[in-house]
Amino acid sequence: MASFARSSLLRQTLAPRAPFLQKNVGVSQVVAFHASAKKQILPPLPQSVQGTMNDPAPIPETHPSEGSYHWSFERLVCVGLVPLTFAPFAAGSLNPVMDAILCSLIVAHSHIGFQAAIVDYFPPSRVPKFRATCNWLLRAFTLTTAVGLYEFETNDVGVTEALRRIWTA
Amino acid sequence: MFSQKVAQQSLRRLAVQQPLAMRSSMMGASPVAVALGKNIQTRQVTSTPNTEDPSQILVKQRLNRPIAPHLTIYKPQIGWIGSSLHRITGVALSGTLYIWATAYLASPALGWHLESASMVAAMGALPLAAKVLLKTTLALPFTYHAMNGIRHLMWDLGRGLTNPVIIKTGWTVVGLSIASAVGLALI
Repeated sequence: MASFARSSLLRQTLAPRAPFLQKNVGVSQVVAFHASAKKQILPPLPQSVQGTMNDPAPIPETHPSEGSYHWSFERLVCVGLVPLTFAPFAAGSLNPVMDAILCSLIVAHSHIGFQAAIVDYFPPSRVPKFRATCNWLLRAFTLTTAVGLYEFETNDVGVTEALRRIWTA
Repeated sequence: MFSQKVAQQSLRRLAVQQPLAMRSSMMGASPVAVALGKNIQTRQVTSTPNTEDPSQILVKQRLNRPIAPHLTIYKPQIGWIGSSLHRITGVALSGTLYIWATAYLASPALGWHLESASMVAAMGALPLAAKVLLKTTLALPFTYHAMNGIRHLMWDLGRGLTNPVIIKTGWTVVGLSIASAVGLALI
């Protein structure tokens, strides 16, 4: 191409069609844009096409208990925790009933929080078994925590009172 | 050099002998193609069938798609750093509670002493610096998560969702949580 372009006649005929022969602008910029190192943190999984290749991606099934109701329940627990968290600082401690409510809300809040983290970081398309393991581990730990807190509330002085004593020890 | 001369000569010849033909041919094909006789489209009589599964082309193509960049490309800002800290402190606090409560449940079987009296005694036996350090380590995640949680609840009500307000409240929470954690640690 370059040797052809040196011919004056050809250069004249080609000039209006191929402006990049006149000034070489933009090529280096394009190259620089693509020159950054490729960092494969999570390389793509083996792909598969569901249905035919012209079908859109399937929309996941929705359920109110995983959407709006879950969100409202989450916020209710959070809002309930606010006074129960700050009350002991004013009162010094909580009576056993309020202490039990605080513990229940904290367990629910923790369970939802861990669940959100598992949903965010372990997608089922990438790590289905690990995600299932984490979910069952979480359920087991939530159960042992709830029973452990119940035992502590029943046989010991209660969480807020215990924290107060440890803090001022 | 030879090919260049051939092209030049044939082009000149064409321009002199059949100027109309050259002009009309230039509308469609390039003069180089006309000069070299490659302006005529040819089709083979037989065609080779494509035996490849077309859906596999898409599958291969998907593997070359760009991947979302990681957090390191973002400028550290109070918005996303504060949000990350909210989750980190939450997991740390809840994780501590889960481990302690489960250990308390298992303590009779394992012979551990995690009841309040022994924990108070263990805390009381520590030197003052260790007490303050331990209390700060426990109090800072708690104060940050509690105060930032109120910020999150305000956002859920749709308030304070502009950039300047988010920056201001973010740093307010950082300041208040550090101050209150130090205050709690010194009790």
